[in-house]
Amino acid sequence: MAKRITIDPITRIEGHLRIDVEVENNAVSNAWASCTMWRGIEKILRGRDPRDAWLFTQRFCGVCTTVHAMASVRSVEDALKLEIPLNAQYIRNLILIAHALHDHIVHFYQLSALDWVDVLQIPKADAAATSKLAETLSPWTRNSRNELKAAQDRVNAVASSGQLGIFANGYWGHPAMRLSPDVNLLAFSHYVQALEYQRKALQVVGILGSKTPHIQNLTVGGVANAIDLDSTSALGMSQLAMIGTLLQQVVDFVQQVYFVDVCAVAAMYPEWFKIGSGVRNYLAVPDLPLDSRGSSYDLPGGYIRDGDLAGVKTFQTASDPIFRQSVSEDVMHAYYQGEKPLHPWAGETEPAFTGWNGDEKYSWVKAPRFNGEPMQVGPLAQVLIGYAQGHPLTRKYTDMAIEKIAAIGGVRATPAALHSTLGRHAARAIRACMLAELAQKHLQLLTDNIAKGDYTVHNQPVLPSHEVEGVGTHEAPRGTLSHWVVIKDEKIKNYQAVVPSTWNASPRDKNGAHGPYEASLLHTPLARPEEPLEVLRTVHSFDPCMACACHAFDASGRKIGVAKIL
Amino acid sequence: MRQALIGGIGNVLLGDDGVGPYVVKILESTYAFEESVEIIDLGTPALDLTHQIVGLQSLILVDAVASNDPAGTLALYTKEDILRDTPAQRLDPHSPALAECLMTASMLGTMPQHVLLVGIAGKCYEPGHPLSAAVRHSVGPAIDAILQELRRLGFTFQKKAFPDEPGIWWSDHEYSGPVETVR
Repeated sequence: MAKRITIDPITRIEGHLRIDVEVENNAVSNAWASCTMWRGIEKILRGRDPRDAWLFTQRFCGVCTTVHAMASVRSVEDALKLEIPLNAQYIRNLILIAHALHDHIVHFYQLSALDWVDVLQIPKADAAATSKLAETLSPWTRNSRNELKAAQDRVNAVASSGQLGIFANGYWGHPAMRLSPDVNLLAFSHYVQALEYQRKALQVVGILGSKTPHIQNLTVGGVANAIDLDSTSALGMSQLAMIGTLLQQVVDFVQQVYFVDVCAVAAMYPEWFKIGSGVRNYLAVPDLPLDSRGSSYDLPGGYIRDGDLAGVKTFQTASDPIFRQSVSEDVMHAYYQGEKPLHPWAGETEPAFTGWNGDEKYSWVKAPRFNGEPMQVGPLAQVLIGYAQGHPLTRKYTDMAIEKIAAIGGVRATPAALHSTLGRHAARAIRACMLAELAQKHLQLLTDNIAKGDYTVHNQPVLPSHEVEGVGTHEAPRGTLSHWVVIKDEKIKNYQAVVPSTWNASPRDKNGAHGPYEASLLHTPLARPEEPLEVLRTVHSFDPCMACACHAFDASGRKIGVAKIL
Repeated sequence: MRQALIGGIGNVLLGDDGVGPYVVKILESTYAFEESVEIIDLGTPALDLTHQIVGLQSLILVDAVASNDPAGTLALYTKEDILRDTPAQRLDPHSPALAECLMTASMLGTMPQHVLLVGIAGKCYEPGHPLSAAVRHSVGPAIDAILQELRRLGFTFQKKAFPDEPGIWWSDHEYSGPVETVR
C-alpha cells in the first residue's frame, strides 16, 4: 500500500508550491505538483495602454520583477515591429545578465545548498585544514583560515544558543548528507560570502535601472537612460566604470567560487547524476540580442525531444514562427474553466476552483505544452540545447565542468548525465559562467558604441488602430518566459504570461502526461520517507518560483499594541 | 549615510496586499524626512530583503497581515515577535521570508538595532481590487505609528506645506487627498 506524503508549507497565505508524493518500498511511486493560489493577474491588463503594461507585469512576482518588465516591452515591440536602438539592447542585456547572476547565486547558496551541506557538522571542522583543501580547488583569495574560522564561529554561536534560527528546519544528520565537516564548512563560508556578491550584482541592476526592486528605465521602444559621458548622474564614464568594477567582482565569485562549489558537490554525490531526470523534452529561446532588429543573439535557443541531442532544432529569433505557433495551455487538471488547450493569444483565465483532487483538478498552474508535449525549461534546457548545437561558449564551460568534476571526484560525467537533479545544478553554474563572460562583453559593446557618439536609446512606438499580436520572450534564470499580447484600438485586448515555473510545475494534461517536477520525482529513493530530503533536492534543483501571487505576513506573533479602527 | 529604512511590502496588484506600498507612497508625499531616512516601495522581496537591511540602525516595515481581526485592524510587531516563528520548510524557495531575512541578519551580525512591523489586517486579495474601505481608513493610523517610532528613535521630519502627488499609478480609483492624522 502506497503511503502518501504531502509537503505543504501552509503557514502563509501566498500562493506557494505544494508537492504530494506516494511512496512504495522507500521510493516515490506517484507525484503531483500544485500551486495553492489563484493567479489571475493578467486580467487586470485588459483595456490598458500597452505602453504601460510592463509597470504592472513587473509586479507579477516580487523576486523576478525585471524579467516580467522586459518580456512585456518585448511583446509590445514585437506586435508593433519596432526596432530597438543598440544602446538600449546592450543596457537591457546588462540588466538581464546582472539579474540572472544575482538569481543563480542566491538560488544555489541561500535556497538549495543546505539540501547538500549539513550545517550542524561544521563545529567539527578544522579551519586550517579546510583552507588547505580550498587552495587545491580554486585561486579564490577569501578561503583563508581566518575567514573560514569566522564562518565556523557564526555556526557555533547559533548551534550553542539552543535555537537554530535560520537553520531550524534543515534535515541535519540525515543519512543522505555525506560531505565531510571541512567541505561543509567551506561551502557554508561561501554561503555567507554569496550574500555580499549577489548584492553587488543587484547594484548593477540598480545603477542601470535607477531603482531595485522594480527598474524604472524601460520604455516600449528602448530605454529611458540619459547618456552623458561627463555626467555622474547620467550614464557616462563614471557609471560605466562603477558597473565594470562591480561586475568584475561578481564574475570572479561566479567562476572561482560558485562554479567550483557546484562541481565539488557533484563530485561527492555522483549518484544524483542518475536521479531526477523526468521530462526529457527541453525548450529555450535565443536571448541577448546583438543588433537592433533581433536577428542575431549571444545565447542560442531551440528544442530537444525525448533527450535526443543529435536531433536538436534551432530557433532563429526570439519570436521564432515555430515557437509562436506551437505553444498552448491545457487546463484539464487546473482550476480553470475550459475544455480544449488554448493558444496564449486566445487564452482565458476563468477560475473553476474544486479543491485538491489528484484524479481531477489539483492546481492553479495551467499546463503549458509545446506541440502538445510537456517541456522542461531552465538552465539545463539552455545548456543541453546550446551544447547539442555546438555553441562554443556553452561547450567551453560544460567541458570545463566535466573536467573539474572528474579532477575532484574521479567521476566522469557526460552531457547525457546532465538529465538529472545534479545536472540542473551543474547547468545553472555553467550558464552563470557564460553570463559572467558575456557581462563583460556587453559592457564593452555599450562603452564602444557610446564612444562612437551614438547616444540614441529610444525609438518612438506608433500604435496601429487595427488588431495586432505580439510575443515577447526572455530566457530568464528559471527558463523560457513568454508574454503574449493582443492589441486593438490602442488598448490591450488580451494578455497572457507563460512563465518558466508554469512549464516546470505544470500539472498533468488531458493525455495524463506529467509536468517536469512530477516526472522528475518518480522512482526517487527515500532513505527516510518521514524526512523526504531527496524530494526537496530534486524540486529545489528546478529553482521553483510560485511567489508570483499574493502574500501577507502571518499574524502569529504577539501583538504589542492593537488600535481598533472605528 | 542611510540609517533608517521605511519599507512598504506587498503586491500592489492584489487588493489589500498593496496597502504597504500605498502607505509609504502617501507618507513620502506628505512628509519630508532627513537624509538618513530612506522610504521605499519594496514590493514582495522575499529573501531579497536581506540585502536591503544591511547597515541599518532602524527598520520599519508596513505590510498586510493575515489575521482573524476585522479588516483595517492595526497591529505592531517587534523583532522578537517576528523571530518567534520557525521558518517554514522552503519547498518553494521564493516564499516571503521576513523572519528568514531577520534570522540571516542575526546570524551575520547585521541585524538592525530596532525593527518594527506595522501590520494591517486585510480582507480582499483579489487581483485588480482597490483597497477595502476599512483598510483605507487604517492608512492614517499606520502613518502615525511610523512617525511615532521615528520620533522615538530621534529622527526628524516635517509635514510638507503642499503634499506631492503620491503617484499611486497602479490604482484606477481616485486618490482622495491626504489622510488627516490624529496627532
